[in-house]
Amino acid sequence: MEFGLKKRARHEVKVEVASLETKYPHNVMMYHYPPTEDVHIDEFEELALERLRLLRVLDRASTRNLRVLSDEWKEIVSADLTREGLRSYLRLCSNGGSGKHEADIQTRRRDYLSHFILRLAYCRSEDLARWFVAREMELFRYKFAALSSAEVKQFLESNGFEIHPLTEAQKDEVKDGLYESTAGQSVAKIELLDFYKVPFTQVLDLVRGRRCYLKAGYAYVNTHDLVSLVGTKQQDEIEQGLQAAKTMVDDVEADDRISRTLKALHNSYTGRDYTVCRDAAVPIESLDQLSKTSMPLCMRICHEHIRANHHIKHTGRMQYGLFLKGIGVTLEDSLRFWREEFTKKMDSDKFTRSYEYNIYHNYGKKGSMVNYTPYSCAKIIKDVAGPGDCHGCPYKNMDQGSLKSKLSSYGLSASAIEEVMFFVSRGHYQIGCGKYFQLTHNSPVEPSINHPNNYFEESQMAMGNRQKRANGSAPPKARIRPDIKGHGDRSMLMGDDDDELWRIAETQERIMQSQKDISEAFNDDLDLTQIDY
Amino acid sequence: MPEQVADQENQAPQQQTTAVHAYNPEVLQDMLPVYYRRLFPHLPFYRWLSYGSSEDAIFSNREISFTLQDDIYIRYLCFDTQAELEKEICSRNPIKIDIGPVMHSKPKNHRSIPGGLTPVQRELVFDIDMTDYDEVRTCCSGAGVCLKCWKFMVLAARVLDVALREDFGFEHIIWIFSGRRGIHCWVCDHQARHLDGRGRYAVAEYLNIITYASFAGGNSPRCSMGDRPHHSLKRALKIVEPMFEEIVLEDQNLFGTPKGVTKLLNMVHDDAARGELESYLQKNLEDGAHSRLVWESFIKYANSMRTSTTSAWSRKLKNIVAEIQLGLLYPRLDINVTRGFNHLLKAPFCIHPATGKVCVPFSVSAVAKFDPTTVPTITQLLHEINAFDDKSKSYMEAPEDKSRIKDHKKTSMFKGVVVFEEFLRKLERSQKSGSLQF
Repeated sequence: MEFGLKKRARHEVKVEVASLETKYPHNVMMYHYPPTEDVHIDEFEELALERLRLLRVLDRASTRNLRVLSDEWKEIVSADLTREGLRSYLRLCSNGGSGKHEADIQTRRRDYLSHFILRLAYCRSEDLARWFVAREMELFRYKFAALSSAEVKQFLESNGFEIHPLTEAQKDEVKDGLYESTAGQSVAKIELLDFYKVPFTQVLDLVRGRRCYLKAGYAYVNTHDLVSLVGTKQQDEIEQGLQAAKTMVDDVEADDRISRTLKALHNSYTGRDYTVCRDAAVPIESLDQLSKTSMPLCMRICHEHIRANHHIKHTGRMQYGLFLKGIGVTLEDSLRFWREEFTKKMDSDKFTRSYEYNIYHNYGKKGSMVNYTPYSCAKIIKDVAGPGDCHGCPYKNMDQGSLKSKLSSYGLSASAIEEVMFFVSRGHYQIGCGKYFQLTHNSPVEPSINHPNNYFEESQMAMGNRQKRANGSAPPKARIRPDIKGHGDRSMLMGDDDDELWRIAETQERIMQSQKDISEAFNDDLDLTQIDY
Repeated sequence: MPEQVADQENQAPQQQTTAVHAYNPEVLQDMLPVYYRRLFPHLPFYRWLSYGSSEDAIFSNREISFTLQDDIYIRYLCFDTQAELEKEICSRNPIKIDIGPVMHSKPKNHRSIPGGLTPVQRELVFDIDMTDYDEVRTCCSGAGVCLKCWKFMVLAARVLDVALREDFGFEHIIWIFSGRRGIHCWVCDHQARHLDGRGRYAVAEYLNIITYASFAGGNSPRCSMGDRPHHSLKRALKIVEPMFEEIVLEDQNLFGTPKGVTKLLNMVHDDAARGELESYLQKNLEDGAHSRLVWESFIKYANSMRTSTTSAWSRKLKNIVAEIQLGLLYPRLDINVTRGFNHLLKAPFCIHPATGKVCVPFSVSAVAKFDPTTVPTITQLLHEINAFDDKSKSYMEAPEDKSRIKDHKKTSMFKGVVVFEEFLRKLERSQKSGSLQF
């Protein structure tokens, strides 16, 4: 019996090795099916941390607002991956289709498994899911871009994409449109490239950016832009997979070892969300002074706009109101601040009817009872400014001449302004904001700004008004690299903040799921129909 | 006979009508019952929202909300039949009716549904508001609207409509006057109704070409055409360019003040070039020069500078003239309305509480003839009904009287109803042919 068991195990191992190549035949994978093989808990943790470091590299590149896959982006990502000890993934992303080496196959296996592990951690809330999907799609596009034309075709066939290039006659019919509207290709190239006609819903990122020809609901896509088509499907796969993971995450959490690992992952690396401010109560009387000393440009401009005009549009109210909540303004003070300002232009009844509910709502006291999260830099930068808006990222939205004037009026010298504008003109808005911080605080180092509330905290600490908090920041690289299998990593990842934020995220998600549509519709409807500007 | 009466009404002296039938918001609540019983087109409204019962529960799972007097706001209403909806409207007399998405379950049961309501479909909608043009119109501001600034809406409707039809293949589009200062567009094709959030975002971004650069004094609209302008931008330019002179240079005389010249300068997105242009204009123009002279000077300067290969005018600002024209006249969308899947939007044929005007549909092909200042108010409509009743003497109080159903055809609101019914006819015909294909 014992002998038989042993023999069978050996046979299985052999089959597994052979099947790995068939299981993971390609660097670019669609992550269709969850893996079924057994994984040791130590490897489980190791894989999770490894992929999170990979995604964090992509996250850092995205905070520079570089165009994904631009040369500069590739340079930065490549260097960071090497520095992080992820050369195997770098090879995966830059070597095209299918290497046959054992090392490549093992990297694909780790890639595949770690993706599914992180699904379990990032399915919990919409913010986490959004972050995860964005990073995964950047990774996917990075890999896909390295494929040759032949490899793309092979990939399409093996993954069940049934699309065929247009004939010459079909192409001639729309050639004027192709010449005018195909972004990134010369006219000569357009004549040579294969084009595919697909429903516009399958290449939404090309539509959004006006990068392809659209006619009668169909988009005309060339081989270089096929990543959009495949990417749309990939994104659907991941999003549906996250939904599925969410339904079974409670079962998974029954295992204490797994739950601790997953719990520690999500906040330790994506950073705090600043929903809760426990160690400060900021009086509204100090806001005028604080706006000059400790607020990033986006919030300072909102504050000044409110003081000058006694009003601000809905998105500006959300942006600034949530920021105030995050820095420690209480609900009562918040109500007082907004009422004082707005009632300089309208009567108190109207303020009560039109605006009070939203303030309670943002503090989690009405409607869906969700304690809303202050906006991050990514969200603020991504928001499109409308006419009359003062919200959004001023480094992005302000005319450069006006931005210089504004910075000058805030006391920056000409040379200091040039230092900031160096980054702004290249689209590195968050780095420019960090430089602004450095210059206005005479700081020796330029902080990494990814959230207005984190700017505020850094400023308060630099001015000696707050103690630096030990948790929430990324672990030192030296600690994480040598021996991942040890227990040290877990103790580093867990902290009081993480526990509390975990509970908040869980509570938020449970309530939000049941009331999400209500709150969204209410906010939107209130703004559109009840308020006069 | 109804048409004859309507023509007579339309030919009535305008001044007299306005003076006699001035709208008074305080009696709106008293007038609404008659409006809803005799004029609101209940059956066409139902025919629209039921889409020929082409999909399960498409009408009964639709969220509808009523705003009653004193801002009482009732959400999560839903109705199984046209009769039920009509009965409720006529008994509650809402001052506003909003339409939300079709949910996966009955909206009225939202409290008992685990996980809450999920939108299944809704029309792709667009909201264009005149206040978003405040910094490029000089005739009015805020809620004020006249025939001069309405021309911005005319172009907006034309540009948007043709893009939705030609680029996206949408056919069933209905345009609604919002009752005061804006227009709504509802795209009702099957595909449009089933677009997800990402799809709506992509369509909204595709159509939203204007970005706003912040200045000390406000925002400046900017539009970048790039080296090779996208065909949609070229088409939009073809629509707006012929009207630029009339709207911007003549009607608004936008550049006829120092402030207006600054607006022109702020649309030039290169600091050095803007400074050069400013000097040139100061040197060559008197203060208060008419917009036409300013514009001609600007074009002359831009063209002269374009010959230099090193200048920003031949690279970055190659298309600046067209970009300014688009920046001023291209539709200014509230893209959050379009992006939101579960937005509520005001229903057609509502009465705007502030103006008393009917939110009438209009035909995009005749949008240039649409006059927001002569859209009938509820006061005017009720007077028209009374006049007709007095004349005919055949009206009976019986609610099932046949003439009651066609009351709206006796008033100046009949054009809006005809437009709506034509839209419904095409919509229902496409649904019929779709069924036959199966």
